[in-house]
Amino acid sequence: MTSFPSPDPTTASSARALTKVYGRGPAAVRALDGVDVDFAVGAFTAIMGPSGSGKSTLMHLLAGLDTVTSGTVRLGATDLTTLDDDALTMLRRDRVGFVFQSFNLLPMFTAEQNITLPLDLAGARVDRVWLDQLTDTLGLTDRLTHRPAELSGGQQQRVAIARALVTRPDVVFADEPTGNLDSRAGAEVLSFLRRSVRELGRTVIMVTHDPTAAAYADRVVLLADGRIAGDIVDPTPESVLAGLDALRTLEGPAGEVAVGAAQR
Amino acid sequence: MIRVTLAQMRASLGRLAAAGLAIVLGTAFVAATLLAGDVMNRTGRDAVTATLGQADLVVRSSGGAAQLAEVRATQDVQAADPMLDGWAQLTGPKGAQVGQLVLATPSDERLTALTVTAGRAPAADDEVALPADTLERLGVEVGGTVQVTWYPLVTETGTADDSAAATAPTADATATAGPDGTVTDADGSITDTVSVVGVADDPTHAWASWGGAGLATAASTLRWGQTSPDESPVTLLVAVQPGTLDATHDALVAVVGSDLQVLTRDQAARQTYEQMGSGYGNVLVAVVLAFAAVALLVAALVIANTFTVLVAQRTRRLALLRCVGATRGQLRRSVLLEAALLGAGASALGMLTGSALAQLALTVLRQLRATGVPLPATVHLTWPVVVVPLLVGTLVTVLASQVPARAATRVSPVEALRPLDVPPAGSAGGRVRLVIAVLLAAGGLVGLLGAVALSTPDVGAGMVPLGLGVLAGATSFVGILLGGVYWLPPLVRLAGRAVAATGPVGRLAAANTVRNPRRTAATSTALLIGVTLVVMMSTGAATARTSLGHELDQKYPFDIEVGTSNVTADGRAQALPAGVEASVQAVDGVARTARVTDLTVLAGDGTTLTVSAVDRGDAALTLRDPALAAQLADGVLLVPDADSTLIGATTLEAASWDGLPTGAEPPVQVHGVLAGSGSRALITPATAAEIDPAARVTGLFVALEPGADAVDVLRDVQERLGGQPVWVSGPAAERAQNDQVIDVMLAVVVGLLGVAVLISLLGVANTLSLSTIERRRESATLRAIGLSRRRLRATLAAEGVLIASVGAVLGSVLGLLYGWAGAATVFGQLGQTSVAVPWRDLGLVLVVAVGAGLLASVLPGRAAARTSPVAALAVE
Repeated sequence: MTSFPSPDPTTASSARALTKVYGRGPAAVRALDGVDVDFAVGAFTAIMGPSGSGKSTLMHLLAGLDTVTSGTVRLGATDLTTLDDDALTMLRRDRVGFVFQSFNLLPMFTAEQNITLPLDLAGARVDRVWLDQLTDTLGLTDRLTHRPAELSGGQQQRVAIARALVTRPDVVFADEPTGNLDSRAGAEVLSFLRRSVRELGRTVIMVTHDPTAAAYADRVVLLADGRIAGDIVDPTPESVLAGLDALRTLEGPAGEVAVGAAQR
Repeated sequence: MIRVTLAQMRASLGRLAAAGLAIVLGTAFVAATLLAGDVMNRTGRDAVTATLGQADLVVRSSGGAAQLAEVRATQDVQAADPMLDGWAQLTGPKGAQVGQLVLATPSDERLTALTVTAGRAPAADDEVALPADTLERLGVEVGGTVQVTWYPLVTETGTADDSAAATAPTADATATAGPDGTVTDADGSITDTVSVVGVADDPTHAWASWGGAGLATAASTLRWGQTSPDESPVTLLVAVQPGTLDATHDALVAVVGSDLQVLTRDQAARQTYEQMGSGYGNVLVAVVLAFAAVALLVAALVIANTFTVLVAQRTRRLALLRCVGATRGQLRRSVLLEAALLGAGASALGMLTGSALAQLALTVLRQLRATGVPLPATVHLTWPVVVVPLLVGTLVTVLASQVPARAATRVSPVEALRPLDVPPAGSAGGRVRLVIAVLLAAGGLVGLLGAVALSTPDVGAGMVPLGLGVLAGATSFVGILLGGVYWLPPLVRLAGRAVAATGPVGRLAAANTVRNPRRTAATSTALLIGVTLVVMMSTGAATARTSLGHELDQKYPFDIEVGTSNVTADGRAQALPAGVEASVQAVDGVARTARVTDLTVLAGDGTTLTVSAVDRGDAALTLRDPALAAQLADGVLLVPDADSTLIGATTLEAASWDGLPTGAEPPVQVHGVLAGSGSRALITPATAAEIDPAARVTGLFVALEPGADAVDVLRDVQERLGGQPVWVSGPAAERAQNDQVIDVMLAVVVGLLGVAVLISLLGVANTLSLSTIERRRESATLRAIGLSRRRLRATLAAEGVLIASVGAVLGSVLGLLYGWAGAATVFGQLGQTSVAVPWRDLGLVLVVAVGAGLLASVLPGRAAARTSPVAALAVE
């Protein structure tokens, strides 16, 4: 086992020798196979890979939504593998924000009620200044009293982002946030995510299969067959595409392929 | 399409199971009821057959000694006896009194079901054989004596029947004991002393439902039962030479003159049973089946709800089928087929369950020998028992799924292509439905009010108000139920606001409950039906108790009364023997006694009546209504009857018990006043002394301690005073008996309704579980953003409690209203009805509902909390 160095205050989330196996015996599927990765604070990181690469699984484990088979996961300095379900739940409530592909808003609540839901569950007071700033930034001020059924896809996703940000979490995890949106709404959402990193100082880790979306990030981590297969810093759509292509021709575990500034 | 249907069924087996369970319960109820009715009928028929002993033939004779002699003289007839019975009032040596059915001693042991197990059969008119139970209750053994009290037959000439006088010791005109122990009472009854010569046993329990039977000579049986020996017609039991049945049958037909009058034992038994009213047993079965119908109605609601939710959840799959080429009709038939299969399977299971339960109950009852009559060992699975539940259950399920099946046809193919689950539109209902519901409810209500108004003592409308009330009540209930989808959701929302105030969990629960008004209304409606009926019965019973109690209070102003039974030579009532008052006061449960002097008086208008003189102070302490005592004063006569001519100035003169003035004193002026309550004419002892200075204390009014058991105290007093020439009567015992009967009936009715309530609670659990499945993604989202497992379960628990409570509270309100209306209709003709609220029962209902709501949420909650947040986030 790799020994764990003392936690780095600039690491928002990290994993060591992370393994996740589904099923048993001959039907067992190794979704993740010994993943070591760090995600920096205040950065917008994208996790990419072909379908079946285990990227969603990695995100679920990093966010404390699922339990590991072996290895460790840390959120900041907290080792998630030592926490029980109630502690994980509180951690998700206070320190993590989620944006899902299918928005996942509660249909019987208004937009505003959906946004303040995590605070409501925590019994915490709503910081109206922060809330107004969020809704302003996301352009939702005049839609707050509408129910999800009365909002467009893009607006719903923006409400979801506001919900993810309202607790000022350590990390925001986004799972294919543009998957159900048209290209314009998708671009809006991605730029909001980047703005929340640049202007509001948040950390965002996004899973995507879309190279254009990945290009909005500061760094792209490539995943293939449950293992880290590449790392692209300051990505562009072309460099990301090239990285993905390289994945397809690779066989077996690859070393770190750093396609860096030379590509640009 | 069938394969698709079966595949869908297999996939949703769990969700269908709860709905299926509702049908299982309903059909089990039906099957068990039919089996119980069959057992009752069989038992009744067997008992009637047993009363005919081992007779070969039964002759329905037109009566008379001549025909009996002819039958006896017929060739091959070995013995023939008329079936004679009489009811004897027996008093044991310690004063215990028992009423006993007595049969004539047969001339051949084949002609009776009774056998003598100890001693011998009675041969003389002053001998009797009694069942062991009776002997124990009377406290006497073989060789001892008991007293029989009977009334001589009075013929047209007005004198006692000659034969009765010839065989009985001469009745004394005065109330003194004759030389051989005969006593003639002032009311004309004769008391003889007879000796117990044997114990009569009934091995086939033929007479168990009559409380057993004793034996006496034919003459005694006739005398005690007040039957003339020539009374016609009578049934003759005939024993014939073995092997000559048909020949003797024809010979007897010749004697009697009609083929219809000579029957075999089984034929006669069936005839008697049907005449007796096997109808009674069938009416009982019909009533219980009515409850089963209510249970099935509730089950139908649960099924309809389940299928509605299932169709809603399968929208995408159904739309896919439409895309691929299934027609609307095929989709509809698919849903109906699923319902039919579910119904048939569940009904079969229900029928088996009901049969098993009935067999179990039968076996247990046989072991306990709980009933006096012998029960058959097994239940008979006849064709109706097997087929009726199956048919009914399947039919109910298919009918209940009609509306969801039609909803399935409205799925458009486009919905298969929608990427997301669109929340179902919570449409309320058409306008037509609203209009019909309002009309029915309003019309029924008006009818109900009319029925209540008609049920006053002034309007002698008989059974009409009751029929009108039932019809109107049912109509209004149907209207209210139909309109449930309009008025239930707003009330649920109101209740939800209260729950929402408790925090985020409450808010989630309240929001979830009002999301789908139709579904919430359907679930609450099922519970509403059961609760309304239960509360209605409870309220009715409570009102009945208080109304009947008031009735008795009106009739009897005291708890227990003791009086002397004899009249002295000077025509006055016998004085209360010394020591009686002390004995009574010594009995546990007696609070105090008041001395009463009964006088027979002749009033100024020529009527003879009995007045009771009681001291005003004593009366205030022993009479139940203190206002009555306050009305007592010297020179005042309290008159119970408002129409009496004695109200106002009148005179009273002492008289003997036959109405002739004794002339002891001149008539006394009194002022007649209408008594506030009670049915006794009361005066004060001072007035009584004026009327008749020689009047003595003849009895006691007894007041019971609060909380004393009236029946027990009455029996204690009777035992204490046994042997003394006094009688003891207790209206309190009558009230206690009334209450007991009402309580038992209520328990039975609520028990029968319990099945319907249970099914509706199943419906609540079903709705919760189906909603949970629907909301898996939402639950997962909530878990992801910070709702712990415990609070997710709490959310579901709050939802369950909310739905159940709303149904229970509304059902209670409706039940109270209907119960009052019903009681007012039934008891209104008796006089004033009091408004009674069965608080204890209401509390119980609410507790059960809340508890059930919580219980219903346990399994769905556990399932919801167990699913990992990840699993439900996957995009389909």
